[in-house]
Amino acid sequence: MRTIEALPAQSAAPGEVKRPIAWARWLPAIGAGAVLAYLVLVPLLLMLVSSLRPGGFPLDPGWTFANYATVYGAAGFPRLVGTTIAFAIGSTALALALGIALAWLIERTDLPLRGTIRALVILPMATPPILLAIGWAMLLSPRTGFFNLLIRDVFGLAQSPFNVFSLGGMIFVEGLSLVPTTFLFLSPAFRNMDPSLEEAAITSGAGIGMLLRRILLPMLWPSILAAGAFLLIVCLVVFDIPGTLGMPARIFVLSTQIYYLAVDSPTGVPLYGQVSALAAFFLCILFVLGWAYHRLTRQAQRYRTITGKGFRPRLMRLGGWRWVAFAGVSAYFLLAVVAPLAILFWTSLMPYQTRVTWAALDLVTLDNHIDFFANRRVLEAAGNSLTVALVAATAVALISVVLAWLVVRAKIPGARLLDGLAFAPVAMPGVMLGVALVYVYLTLDLGFAVYGTIWIIAIAYVTHYVSFGTRLANGVMVQLHPELEEAGAASGASTVRVLRRITLPLIWPAVVAIWIWVVAHALRELSTALMLQGRGNVVVPTLLWDYWSGGEPNRAAAVGVWLVVALVIFLSLWQAVARSRLERSS
Amino acid sequence: MLTVSGLVKRYDTRRADAFAVRAVSFDVAQGEFFTLLGPSGCGKTTTLRSVAGLETPDSGEIAIDGVSVFSSAKGTVVPVAKRDIAMVFQSYAIWPHMTVRENVAFPLEAMGVNGAEAKRRIESALSIVGLTAFADRPAPMLSGGQQQRVALARAIVKQAKVLLLDEPLSNLDAKLREQMRVELRDLQRRIGTTAIYVTHDQDEALSLSDRIAVMKDGAIVELDTPQALYLRPRTTFTARFVGQADLLPCTVVERGADRLALDTPLGPLHSTVFPPGLDGTLALLVRPEHIEFRDGEAAFGRNMLGGVVQRVLFSGRLVEYVVQVGAAALRVQATSRSLKAEGDRVTLHLPPERCVVVAGDADS
Ligand SMILES: Nc1ncnc2c1ncn2[C@@H]1O[C@H](COP(=O)(O)OP(=O)(O)O)[C@@H](O)[C@H]1O
Ligand SMILES: [Mg+2]
Repeated sequence: MRTIEALPAQSAAPGEVKRPIAWARWLPAIGAGAVLAYLVLVPLLLMLVSSLRPGGFPLDPGWTFANYATVYGAAGFPRLVGTTIAFAIGSTALALALGIALAWLIERTDLPLRGTIRALVILPMATPPILLAIGWAMLLSPRTGFFNLLIRDVFGLAQSPFNVFSLGGMIFVEGLSLVPTTFLFLSPAFRNMDPSLEEAAITSGAGIGMLLRRILLPMLWPSILAAGAFLLIVCLVVFDIPGTLGMPARIFVLSTQIYYLAVDSPTGVPLYGQVSALAAFFLCILFVLGWAYHRLTRQAQRYRTITGKGFRPRLMRLGGWRWVAFAGVSAYFLLAVVAPLAILFWTSLMPYQTRVTWAALDLVTLDNHIDFFANRRVLEAAGNSLTVALVAATAVALISVVLAWLVVRAKIPGARLLDGLAFAPVAMPGVMLGVALVYVYLTLDLGFAVYGTIWIIAIAYVTHYVSFGTRLANGVMVQLHPELEEAGAASGASTVRVLRRITLPLIWPAVVAIWIWVVAHALRELSTALMLQGRGNVVVPTLLWDYWSGGEPNRAAAVGVWLVVALVIFLSLWQAVARSRLERSS
Repeated sequence: MLTVSGLVKRYDTRRADAFAVRAVSFDVAQGEFFTLLGPSGCGKTTTLRSVAGLETPDSGEIAIDGVSVFSSAKGTVVPVAKRDIAMVFQSYAIWPHMTVRENVAFPLEAMGVNGAEAKRRIESALSIVGLTAFADRPAPMLSGGQQQRVALARAIVKQAKVLLLDEPLSNLDAKLREQMRVELRDLQRRIGTTAIYVTHDQDEALSLSDRIAVMKDGAIVELDTPQALYLRPRTTFTARFVGQADLLPCTVVERGADRLALDTPLGPLHSTVFPPGLDGTLALLVRPEHIEFRDGEAAFGRNMLGGVVQRVLFSGRLVEYVVQVGAAALRVQATSRSLKAEGDRVTLHLPPERCVVVAGDADS
């Protein structure tokens, strides 16, 4: 028998012995809570304070509701809300329709080349929304858009048939850009559905229609609803596409309006008070949606039918429709990847914006690409982007894993609150988070500069991506059978040794996946960086934005091409890791 | 070797009646194979995990080899890693990122045993479970039975005082389960360790254990040797749980020193097995395999009954009959040596030493 440890208060009265344990139990919760409160609650609180200050700054004197009155009393307010909601619902509906079709075709039918197509979904994921928007602006702009000019020539029209700088154009591009996300959400649900449930329905005499109506849709419904709620949140807060396509036509949604008030306001001074008042309203809506999403995913979990029996899903025979479906899927890839990237690539090779013609081939030049690698400002942006992405990814992976362990496994008191706090930033628009952090670092004096440096951007990304990181880490931790860790303790290993030798090695693939995911997303995130832009912290997406909005589309295109290259590399890595994890767990 | 007394555990402290375990006490002797048997949800796992230290009970005392590892009165809670126990989990909990050898080596690594001593112990543990040839396989590339053996090897390599096993055979298929049952018993005898075994399968419990504690709703209802529990249960719950049982309501007509005369739906019967106190509702237990057929229309003597075969269920080795006796139906199990047919008139003998009076309601 080896050493036995009693609690320190062994000789004390029985009533007193438990108190030190109870205290110690709260310590991890307090530690993790403090980090999250600093990242999430402090910005939100300062934003709320600023909305109640006449000058719009948290440290300004006095209190007022004037900001709320101005924002909600403005003549344009109902239209702003209407446009935002129309944009969000339209884009969500389009993304859901295309995403469901794609997931079903790839996972449950005999679509030709299913495996290849599944791997290719990575391409639209690697295309940042802003590049998609710029590409489509080049394809469908009323004056110079490639498709518009083509259709005019072919049909002899006097007017361009399409205008991408419109609500419809925004919805079209946003919907396209969210299809990969929808697919990623729904394909596991399609794939993991136990085929015996379908077979039971068929042997009960159900036809295809009844199978779809009574079995498949009800079973998939929670997953579809959860995906829908998530997409709606994303569409309500997104900036890139409405910023690129809507602002030139003065069509504003929430996030672009915030940007406009903070950066581009007619008075020339940032109207922070109004920004905060506007943000407060939408935050309420978004938190309700976020809560709904949380509930829906819990429900979706309940329906999850992973039996671990290594079944092969039943594939539906499409028959003559096989090639029709294939053509449809190809059309999606053409619209979401090939066409916008091709025009981007073309533009990057041109000295100025030109029509795509044989004659224009004489103008081909590598100047924009050479400039990308020679320009100091570009190199600085690339360096900043990489630094921010790597630092944020490392911090997010670390925080997510520790939080998931505390919440899922250690079941510390207050676990649910911590989890909610970590998830909350998903409902904060990037522009809003940016503004809130401006308040924090202009208000708090930490003794060193954060505002205007790349570190303020890194902090913003950590806050934002912890919400995604913890979802992934929680999922993996839930799947890790607790007996694996308990067997370690029963073998005589200390908690630290169990974490180091058992828990960490087993969840390592998830850590890597979170890391790569955050790197890939931080590299393309625009809105927060734009709000936090100072002199010394330009990153690649903000550079891209500056070139584009500053009337240098060719340089913007070259930056975009290299951004896509970097993202494809990172996302391929991610897929490789994900695949190795799948193989290992099977 | 192991003493558990007054163990209480509630997971849901908001509900006053939600006890997972209420006042469980038992002693286990050195080298004994002790089993906790009961239906699912009766608190077996909670009890075992409390001994391991994976759950902290609300109150009670647990001592391993005379050393207190948990005491609510003194506030002692020895962490799992410091208790002299080894555990085999229901899911096996084989670490998938390690080989068989690394899995088995882990407890030694944690205890700081290394070098030749560690090597010797690993090899011996692997050879005891017959996995020497698989030592360098990645753990996930093993069959269920082999994973089970890795889990066992990992537990015995620690040479702990007490071996805890939580339904270790429940994930195996029927054939393998029976084979592993024999191996498990042999292994425990050979290494002489004290074992606490949790199961809901009465066959497993009866064939493996030195003593069995039958649990119900978080409490031990009976604790005895397998033979005693099977042949002389004291409650209707145990009578039903450890085997097939027909229970009949009965009342005592006359009480002798070692013999009771009973009134039952089958008519008057005699019993020689009954509890000392005869209060409350009583039931008569007759196991189907203890009922004998008597040839011919023998004279009606003591514990002899006449009836008609209602149903025959032939399963090869054994034949099960349902015999109508007056208003009651009785299950009878016999070998296939001589067969009866439906409608046959038969005479049954219920040996008084196998007519067991138990406490409880026959119909509940
Ligand atoms: N972690 C837990 N949280 C809440 N209730 C639990 C937990 N574990 C077990 N229980 C409850 O305690 C009771 C006893 O459970 P358990 O000891 O696992 O039973 P057994 O192993 O005999 O099937 C059951 O009613 C079960 O629902
Ligand atoms: Mg159990």
